[in-house]
Amino acid sequence: MAQTRSGSKLLWDLIAYAVLILLALVCVFPIIWTFLTSIKVEEDIVTRNMIYIPTRFTFDWYVRLWNQSGYPVLVMNSLITTSVTVLICLLTGTIASYSFSRFNFAGRTQLMLGYLVVRMFPAVLMIIPLFMVMRNFGLLDSSVGLAVAYTSFLLPLFVWMLKGFFDAAPKELESAARIDGSTRIGAMFRIVIPIARNGLVATCVFVAIAAWNEYLFALMLTTSQGSRTWPVGLQLMVGEFQLPWGMLAAGGIISIIPVIVLFALVQRVMVAGITAGAVKG
Amino acid sequence: MATLSINGVRKSFGSLEVLKNIDLELEDGGFLVLLGPSGCGKSTLLSIIAGLEPSSGGDILIGDRNVNDVHPKDRNIAMVFQSYALYPTMPVRRNIGFGLEMRKVPQTERDAAVQKAAELLQIEHLLDRKPAQLSGGQRQRVAMGRAIVRDPDLFLFDEPLSNLDAKLRVEMRTEIKRLHDRLGTSVVYVTHDQVEAMTLGTKVAVMREGVIQQIADPQTIYERPANMFVAGFIGSPTMNFLAGTLEKDGETFVLRHGDGVLPLPGLAQDVGPYAGRKVVAGIRPESISAGNGPSTLSGKVDVVEPTGPDTMVIVSVGGQLITARLGSRDRPKLGETLTLAVNAVEVNLFDPESGNRI
Repeated sequence: MAQTRSGSKLLWDLIAYAVLILLALVCVFPIIWTFLTSIKVEEDIVTRNMIYIPTRFTFDWYVRLWNQSGYPVLVMNSLITTSVTVLICLLTGTIASYSFSRFNFAGRTQLMLGYLVVRMFPAVLMIIPLFMVMRNFGLLDSSVGLAVAYTSFLLPLFVWMLKGFFDAAPKELESAARIDGSTRIGAMFRIVIPIARNGLVATCVFVAIAAWNEYLFALMLTTSQGSRTWPVGLQLMVGEFQLPWGMLAAGGIISIIPVIVLFALVQRVMVAGITAGAVKG
Repeated sequence: MATLSINGVRKSFGSLEVLKNIDLELEDGGFLVLLGPSGCGKSTLLSIIAGLEPSSGGDILIGDRNVNDVHPKDRNIAMVFQSYALYPTMPVRRNIGFGLEMRKVPQTERDAAVQKAAELLQIEHLLDRKPAQLSGGQRQRVAMGRAIVRDPDLFLFDEPLSNLDAKLRVEMRTEIKRLHDRLGTSVVYVTHDQVEAMTLGTKVAVMREGVIQQIADPQTIYERPANMFVAGFIGSPTMNFLAGTLEKDGETFVLRHGDGVLPLPGLAQDVGPYAGRKVVAGIRPESISAGNGPSTLSGKVDVVEPTGPDTMVIVSVGGQLITARLGSRDRPKLGETLTLAVNAVEVNLFDPESGNRI
């Protein structure tokens, strides 16, 4: 009886692992394929029969991309836009989510719902009004303007996510700090934010990744090389008569490096932040 | 050190009134315990005294100063929370010194004050640890250290011992009493534990549904409860209530209950006007002993509960259950008819309609 049960458990484990490995492969394959393409020579890329493992390795695509296509400018623009987006969210969103978490003011629920509703509409719907607003304010084709546009849909995500982390910080700690001599805002900075630090990092990383990879707004709101971000720049390399697969693959690999580095740096903090409060501490 | 006066304090959350016209006075160096069941408003009252929660009306005076519109940080109070509320990111040393740090006390002075508080509470060896590395009792000591280090006018304790196990709770209770005797600072202490209230308080305020039922010293609360709620809330096992009719028999009063009569010689109350009316006699289990006397009750033994030092015996007297605290050697048999002597001097009579002591 016991043997049968452990036998069927083993079978289920095997099935589960098989499914998980398959899913992992499906996820990882495009990345591996992109990487392999980026180090193949032209003859290995466009072939009659598929060549999986390159016959010759080359970093020529990376060199050409970096030196000839203005890719460093695109990456720099993306970095600026992403940083400004995170900074705006951090400065405004932290205080907003703290007040949502702690104060019971008139219109609080409606405002929180409003933040959610913004995220329910497809981005395409917002693009035209946003375009007009940006044009009127002279913010078209600028990194800051693009960051403001990103904030319009990333700030709600930031506020909702961070509110959960603030909710998890015990209110007595602020009461204790206020009795000990802090003001409300002082208690927030000295006590609550250090406690919610992991959550804050996790939230910032989510926003940063969303801003880094964003394509549609960047396409519509930037027109020149001076503010264009990497996803748009990469897409514009696809010409009517040419499809530089190697260069596109190299661009793709370069663009995911900052995300991987960011994840690697904050991974532990992030997981701790996301799972905070999940179990008794 | 300071006095505390609470005059007509009210608090409502929407249409729900949680505190109704509270009046309290605490003398300089006194120990006031707010006692009551969950949801009676005692913690809300403490939050209002601390300034963490605004009141809906009334005045709060610490010393001679009206603190209605004074920020918590400027009230010169210190509070110990049920959950300890230690700052998890700071080591114990900084936790204790945080109040002084906020008041811009120089580092050397601060260190000396923290050291002194730590010595008083015997936690010097824990100063460099984080709160997560401490046990419940140690956290409680750190929380108290944080309160005493600032030498405040008033200490506020919000059920500080509720999260501790039974043994530690008794130890810390003694510690708090010792600390109060030593520092002499006025204390307001919230609890639902009547033993804490009786052992610690110089004054106990029993609350129910936002109303103070009685304020008095612990002995008075125990011996002369103002109403049946206070009588039933204080004491374990709780006071017995024996309903009957009060009659005059010569010079003394008697309580006629069911088939029996309980003479009440030496009754401490003036119950003349209640002769011939229905009353409820409140009899503490401690006022009952096995054997005969001038006032006796008799009934069938229903349950016998030995607790070690005592034996609790529940007797059915004419259908009404009466608990008696008898000696450890007294072990009556179930169903046996038992005669119990009642110390009538300690009996309280209540008006069954209002529930108030006559």
